[in-house]
Amino acid sequence: MKIDEELVAIDLEVNSKEEVLSILGNQLQEKGFVKEGFIESVLKREQSYPTGLPTEPFGVAIPHTDGDMVHVSKIAFASLKNPVKFFAMGSSDVTIEVKVVFMLALKNPADQLEMLQKLVGLFQEPEMVAKLARTKDINDLNKLFKAEE
Amino acid sequence: MHKMKKLLIMCGTGIATSTVVKGKVEEWLKENNLNQEVKIYQSKVSDEINRIDEYDVVLSTTLVPDKIKDKVINGVPLLTGIGIESMYEKVLAEIKR
Repeated sequence: MKIDEELVAIDLEVNSKEEVLSILGNQLQEKGFVKEGFIESVLKREQSYPTGLPTEPFGVAIPHTDGDMVHVSKIAFASLKNPVKFFAMGSSDVTIEVKVVFMLALKNPADQLEMLQKLVGLFQEPEMVAKLARTKDINDLNKLFKAEE
Repeated sequence: MHKMKKLLIMCGTGIATSTVVKGKVEEWLKENNLNQEVKIYQSKVSDEINRIDEYDVVLSTTLVPDKIKDKVINGVPLLTGIGIESMYEKVLAEIKR
């Protein structure tokens, strides 16, 4: 399991979830992995179906949208210098302080399933979430996934 | 042959979190020897609102409209690891009902 180097943003300085979603979405769009309008679609979906997860010691978010906005299934990553607020998945009023964002560009349900399962495995261990939040570069990040294998 | 229980797993897109949850529930059914009793369906919330009563058990990772709220069990614990046991207790109660 690997994340492409050009889809990684470490210690990103942003003030809102909209900002981080735009930055990650732009990276995906520039590479031609997603269709035009992907970012707007993710932002809209985040309002109706928020993706913040109340993991420890920091929250994680997994923003995504419908598969018809995606050309090539990919996952983009950002760690945030300062946390931003996401609404909690399955809630309309609980907010989560998120420091780690995985933007999922998935075309079909089976795409990247193994990777998604690994991510969720990492989310359930506070030590791993802490490590994700302080990764220094792409190699560091991919090592974390490898350690899970 | 007895009738299999229908278990629906849904999320906002039917593509990401419901897929992960489905994998975990499949494992759990096997571990508890329930895989012959339960058939899993995967979908997105908007497609299921009007036929929710066709299912015996419904797990969702997203907020659902008030009119189907009572029928739905929150599946987010399977993504965070927090509250998994009480979630499965609810699922089991619905399967055995």
